[in-house]
Amino acid sequence: MVTTVSLKEALLDSAREVFETMVFMALEDSSDDSASLGETSLAGTITFKGSLEGCLGVCCDNSCARTIAANMLGMMSSDEVSENDISDAMGEIANMVMGAVKARIQNDVGSIEVSIPSVVQGRELKNSLGEGSGKVKIRVNIEEQYRAEFSLLFREGKDA
Amino acid sequence: MGKSLMIVDDSATMRKIIMRTVRMSGLEFERTEEAGSGVEALEKLKAGPIDVVLCDINMPEMNGTEMVKHARQLPNCASTKIIMVSTESSEDLIKQVMSDGADGYITKPFTPEKFQEKLTPLLN
Repeated sequence: MVTTVSLKEALLDSAREVFETMVFMALEDSSDDSASLGETSLAGTITFKGSLEGCLGVCCDNSCARTIAANMLGMMSSDEVSENDISDAMGEIANMVMGAVKARIQNDVGSIEVSIPSVVQGRELKNSLGEGSGKVKIRVNIEEQYRAEFSLLFREGKDA
Repeated sequence: MGKSLMIVDDSATMRKIIMRTVRMSGLEFERTEEAGSGVEALEKLKAGPIDVVLCDINMPEMNGTEMVKHARQLPNCASTKIIMVSTESSEDLIKQVMSDGADGYITKPFTPEKFQEKLTPLLN
């Protein structure tokens, strides 16, 4: 049985793994819930269904998203990154973090099927899953320069 | 003669990231191609043989597992090495795509060392 605590751990460990391996940036859990993510934020999201269903999102401001994309592509300057690359990079972060979360929890929860990621302008995933649903959220500092937020909305799926 | 490589992923950015990681791994290919879907990849495979294909699984239009099944029906692909590159890591799925005709599997997130480890034995 997966718990909110174990999901939060899986989310943080997965985000760290993806950032260290693919973005080459260190990511630390932040206890500062009041810190703003910035005026304009991008959210990479991906849905999942099966034994557990819901949505994972990663949200940060445009400057952070641009730096993430530049690092993933190995560009010296974030000015070289196109808007399309930024959007794709945020979708891929959501996709890879979801894949890593799935690998960590699937022995406990059973089969999960993941969708194709999408990217929207927005600041927070709103929980519309209804009764019996849960949400875990982590705020992180990236290289002590940027802030991002990872959210996981979930409920027991029809296949549970 | 130098080897050829095709990267199949619906994300243009991920194709660039994979290409960069392959270069960082030290592996060299004389010719590289990209395809944005399983359908486009099959068209390119029909046009001429390619030594190594790195293929995503989770794609719209035609996913990677379908692409592998179709590719294995093509005469051009008899000796093509097809490696799946995906966030999906369930053992059942990996067994399934290997039995469908894939030659290897790399999970995202990946490192240059992982590409070197998986591709070098297939290239020799």
